[in-house]
Amino acid sequence: MIEFQNVSIAFNNNHVVLNDVSFKVHFYEKLAILGASGGGKTTLLRLILGLVRPDSGKIFIDGQDITELSESELRTSRMKFSIVFQEGALFDSLNVRENVVSCFREYSNYSEEEIEKKARELLNKLGIEEAIDLMPEELSGGMQRRVAIGRALAGCKPKMVLYDEATSGLDPLTADNICGLIRDLAEGEPPERTGFIIVTHKVTDAVKVAERFIYLRNGQIVFDGDIDELRNTADAELRVFTGELHIAENIFDRRGR
Amino acid sequence: MNIKENILRLQGFYILSAKAPLGIMRRPFYMRETIEQMDYMGTGSLFIVLLVSLFIGMALCLQISAELASLGLKMYTGKIVGISIIREIGPVSLALVFAGRVGSGMASELGSMMLGHQVDILRVQGVDPVKKLVTPRVISAILMLPMLTVIGDAVSLLGGYYISVFVSHQSGYFYWSQIKEIMTFDNIFSGVIKPFIFGYLISCVSCYAGLSTSGGARGLRKSTTAAVVYSMILIILSDFMLTRILLYVLGMNV
Repeated sequence: MIEFQNVSIAFNNNHVVLNDVSFKVHFYEKLAILGASGGGKTTLLRLILGLVRPDSGKIFIDGQDITELSESELRTSRMKFSIVFQEGALFDSLNVRENVVSCFREYSNYSEEEIEKKARELLNKLGIEEAIDLMPEELSGGMQRRVAIGRALAGCKPKMVLYDEATSGLDPLTADNICGLIRDLAEGEPPERTGFIIVTHKVTDAVKVAERFIYLRNGQIVFDGDIDELRNTADAELRVFTGELHIAENIFDRRGR
Repeated sequence: MNIKENILRLQGFYILSAKAPLGIMRRPFYMRETIEQMDYMGTGSLFIVLLVSLFIGMALCLQISAELASLGLKMYTGKIVGISIIREIGPVSLALVFAGRVGSGMASELGSMMLGHQVDILRVQGVDPVKKLVTPRVISAILMLPMLTVIGDAVSLLGGYYISVFVSHQSGYFYWSQIKEIMTFDNIFSGVIKPFIFGYLISCVSCYAGLSTSGGARGLRKSTTAAVVYSMILIILSDFMLTRILLYVLGMNV
């Protein structure tokens, strides 16, 4: 369970990114964090991982306050998560196989054959087995994103996966594909399943995967609810966001008729 | 940039410089990364080292034999060339070449890993980026720069031989006998100890610059420049201090 208590953070002395944010989320939840660009969404993920420290407030991961921990003590709490960054953040000196198994190499003594098998299994699940020997720069954006997801799921057995703009910058078809993948990978019943937090500004993608939605504005949470509440929100700005959703649905409705 | 920020940076640099070599004390050992770095730094730099050393040796020998000829002391060319190459010019010039080639490479590689969140991924995987990225680089630089220096010194002496025999028309046998004469423990020790320290300084400065990169392409330019500039300044300043200390330790009169 992740719990934020009155977390505030500012960059460059006075640019407030998050302001008194409090919320709770279970590891098995499917949460989407929405908001305009520069609204502090990515910072929120970095705070969960302890990559940055808040200026004030507390962050509890399984009841442990991670804002007080040192870099080496943070390891255990970080390993409950894995993250998929916006650009994929693949290790560009390693090929796809080594990227996917980088966590195995670190923590296990599997033989080369076993590692190879695991890599193939995973890439097969992601539908990119043929790319196993390619280098990251030879892959398309969508494939890079898939490899990054594969790496996030391999090895360290995360309790929760964090997706930072996993679908942005991709064409609708590939984005839809990735959404399907995210959804499939979070299968199972709570509390056993691996949940996720997806940070995005694309509402249409968020509703495809998530069950709970949080909307951030000016560093504060202005909305926290499920899909029905999101549709019927009275917040003017959020309605602009969800407007995209209504349009998409209208088109599909008309086609359906 | 205020004073507090500068002191914090300096502190960060000291911590990194202390932590990096200590990384070999505890598991996991990143042998594969270390060997890859050694290949990049050592084998990769070999050609430029050979080229630079050859020409430095030849130019130095030309200058010295021209000056000595006017004094009628041409037979001392080998001795002077040998001492200056082994004790001073070889280590320093190759450290500068190394800083330019490898230091900038390290800073830009680590910098782009920082910007591309690859370092963050390592931290999320529970891997210590200092151990995985910095320690192999520091260890390989400490090991490779002395080797390159020894090879470079030999090539410089060969260049000197070529000039003194074929241009300055001296006896080759006499040149080598002079070189042999100066191959004493004191001379070699004071020449070979320096690159160990230069390698350590270059790699720590460059890795620190790389890992403190922020702010996109502009930030990368800044950190790469800082890596090379600070490495060069540190090489030259520490060379002076080392020379002073070594002369004192080895009991040579100035």
